[in-house]
Amino acid sequence: MIEELGRKIVELKKEFVRGYDGQSQIQEIIPKSFPIPEYHLEQLHEFAAKNPIYYNSFEKKIRDTDCVIYEGDINRYWLNSIEHDSSKAPFSPTWIMSGYIAALFARELGYFQVIDIGSGDGRIAFCAKLLEMKSYSIEIDCTLVELQKSLTHTLDFEPYCADAMTFDYSSLNLTRPIFFIGGLAQMGGATLASGVINAVSNPDAGWVFPGTLSKKYALDPKGGAGWGTLIEDNHLNKVQSISLPTAWTLHETDETLYVFAESQISNPN
Amino acid sequence: MFQTESQKLEGLIDSARPDMNIQEIVKIYYQVINVSSMAVMLKQTDSKPDLLEKILETEKMISEKFDSDIHPAIRKRLSVMIQQSSENLQSESERTKEQIESDAKLFEELRQNMSTREFVEQYENELSHD
Repeated sequence: MIEELGRKIVELKKEFVRGYDGQSQIQEIIPKSFPIPEYHLEQLHEFAAKNPIYYNSFEKKIRDTDCVIYEGDINRYWLNSIEHDSSKAPFSPTWIMSGYIAALFARELGYFQVIDIGSGDGRIAFCAKLLEMKSYSIEIDCTLVELQKSLTHTLDFEPYCADAMTFDYSSLNLTRPIFFIGGLAQMGGATLASGVINAVSNPDAGWVFPGTLSKKYALDPKGGAGWGTLIEDNHLNKVQSISLPTAWTLHETDETLYVFAESQISNPN
Repeated sequence: MFQTESQKLEGLIDSARPDMNIQEIVKIYYQVINVSSMAVMLKQTDSKPDLLEKILETEKMISEKFDSDIHPAIRKRLSVMIQQSSENLQSESERTKEQIESDAKLFEELRQNMSTREFVEQYENELSHD
């Protein structure tokens, strides 16, 4: 069922890209009807409509599905994020629908808390909260955290302006958390993930890594869409993966492969 | 082959000017690196005296004209351009769709300048380790 949602959104994205001739830096689509609860879909639209990174939207029918296209620009946030010496990966968002589908997986795998690391505008934490999981959003760029706070009026996904590698995770009283790492392994994600893994001492923690099979990036000798070495070095097991659209794969044939992993000594009971 | 590549480099160095575009900057650095690598390799072989003389002459040209003069000027100009466009693009004013999309092109130029500066700095790092 969740895989099917992923396939649908990828099909919509591919069809959308074929006909898109706009000039915006980033674009994403949210269908007006989709096999998820109507309230959830409304909230996803509201998150995009209120989000200042989007400056335009219009409706378009794609493959017989009425959708809203959101056009945005993150250049100013990018400029701000690269001025943080400790920023490991510049802000580039996943699609809101992708965040929702990945959070659905996290819930199905039995996790109670989602921690969105390098959260950008906090969309994954927002989606997890929408799915009634406890969620936290950790972002080093305080400008982005201010943006997140403007989006928490309906659902408080608890944004923190902090360095995720030195954050005190014990203060969150996590029981069965899953950490979504922001950024490809090759784009600073691996350094960020290593730092967070070291800071989290919870054998029941799950991990979600955004991977790529694109030839543009260096291959990891252990595979895992760029995460194989980190997964092996940290004694994790890959449990699931799903391909979903992101801002940085709009013109790519391959989507972003979200790799779900858990500790080899994980005890879900 | 060294003679040809060295002459090509000499032409690029002679025509170098402070306002070179990104492609011209990359081209001249590529040629400097190319010729320098050839020189290192050839000096390790039993080269004929006239070739050895040409190698030393070329190395002197790279050191005196490129490393001491052209490279610092390129580096400085890139830094100034990056600082100026970063400041201009950081404006907080409300922007229309057209302005945002026009600014996006300037951001793209900024990204290119930043990655060129990174490349230029990498050359400088290599120099300091020689």
